Amino acid sequence: MRLPSILLQIPAPAPGRSLLLLLVPVALGLIAVYLLLPRPRGTRPLWGTLSAGMAILLAGWLLGRSGSGRVETVLFYTLSAIAILAGGLLITLRNPVRAALSFALVVLSTCGLFLLQAAPFLMAATIIIYAGAIVVTFLFVIMLAQQVGTSDADQRSREPFLSSLAGFVLLGAVLCMLHLTYSTERFDALLARARAAAEMPTLEEIRNMLGSGNDFFDALHREAQHAHIAPDKTKAFEDSLSALEENWNPPSWDADKMRSALRKLYEEGVAIRNSYGNLQPPRESSFLPPGIDNKKQPLELSTYSRLHSNQPSTQPLRDAQGRSVLPAENVAYLGRTLFSDYLLAVELGGTLLLVATVGAIAIAGRRPEGLR
Amino acid sequence: MNELPMLHNYLVVGAILFALGTVGFLARRNLIVMFLSAEMMLQGVSLNLVAFARYRSNLQGQAFTLFIITVAACEAGIALALILMLYRRRRSLDVTLWQELREPTVEPTFDEEPLPPPPVEEPLPRLTPAGLEPVHGQETSHV
Repeated sequence: MRLPSILLQIPAPAPGRSLLLLLVPVALGLIAVYLLLPRPRGTRPLWGTLSAGMAILLAGWLLGRSGSGRVETVLFYTLSAIAILAGGLLITLRNPVRAALSFALVVLSTCGLFLLQAAPFLMAATIIIYAGAIVVTFLFVIMLAQQVGTSDADQRSREPFLSSLAGFVLLGAVLCMLHLTYSTERFDALLARARAAAEMPTLEEIRNMLGSGNDFFDALHREAQHAHIAPDKTKAFEDSLSALEENWNPPSWDADKMRSALRKLYEEGVAIRNSYGNLQPPRESSFLPPGIDNKKQPLELSTYSRLHSNQPSTQPLRDAQGRSVLPAENVAYLGRTLFSDYLLAVELGGTLLLVATVGAIAIAGRRPEGLR
Repeated sequence: MNELPMLHNYLVVGAILFALGTVGFLARRNLIVMFLSAEMMLQGVSLNLVAFARYRSNLQGQAFTLFIITVAACEAGIALALILMLYRRRRSLDVTLWQELREPTVEPTFDEEPLPPPPVEEPLPRLTPAGLEPVHGQETSHV
């Protein structure tokens, strides 16, 4: 029986052990933030820093188990470690000036992550607006509202345990959901069973291995639905899965044919598994515009990232050597999108900025006491 | 095996930034640090949107992030003006000084522990006067 498609989006619980392992760095981070939040008796910097370091190392190990030594991977881990460390410093440092400076560090490393994701315009805009304007204005206000000595505002926290519990329960829930959605563990286990069954000598043993019912195939059907990004691969996998399923009950193939079908199923399944959540769309992606023949020449990521938001672009711009003009030549396309698809939103954004300027001046302007 | 960083990793980093911002907003009492935490939550959301823009290979996520930046700039301007106003009224950035805005059924909170005494600052070194101090007086000018 095929489930309705909305149910297919919600994965069944994965094996619990890796889920528990995922919650260990979250709990360590909770302990670290709780110990490091400011309070008048003084914090415990040694234990807090130790558990923060262990949380970050463990989280990096859990994330990076499938990584490799490519430049993009190394940059990603460095920048995100800086961002998370500076974020922790922002909420634990007592001096608001230092907190504002570590916020600038968060913004800068997030801008590095933007650049890794082919968003150069957003990187520049965020650096100029956040790190340039907003942080400087914050520092200005901190200087204006200079407080001498220790103050209640900086030395105390409001309910430190409850607030860190709230934040980290939220984080744990989000991480569990992400793990359940993007984990390949169950798919890997199913594929390993298919692979082991393909090695068996007789038909009887293959059927013993996979069970005579259709549970195995139903589970594979469910898993294959996750690979949204590679519909061609999913279709090939579904086709060979259906062919195998039709000849399973009653068994109408001999052992050799069954073995080769299982081997083919395994290879197509591995191809699908490798495109789970991949940021680089595969060559056979359906997101390509119809005009581009992707079988002829391999396309770089720039070809994908420079697409118009909802209209297909024509041929990619290339220089004399046939390379794409920029690694991610999408600034012009972002501008075109903004001034065609989102024109009304851009106008509204400009109006909002104007109203905010008027409001800020009206609120903060010094007036004579009698006029209040 | 996959070689590039996956969508999943960027979503995890965005979620961590968002959760840290939540904790900071709930726990800190300084108005400015609370506001910085809210901005950090927005950074986490922007990271998610940009990651989805690349995953989906279109520019909708990036356009959305640009509007987030616009709204954040407006929000920062207004909020700083408000913070300045509040500071002028109470001469402090402590948010618990505004407890009269609470619900009528909620009890006010008090701080029980006293603050630690402020650190005693070392007095600045003073130079011993050297030489003779000149006579202060009307200087005669010969023009």
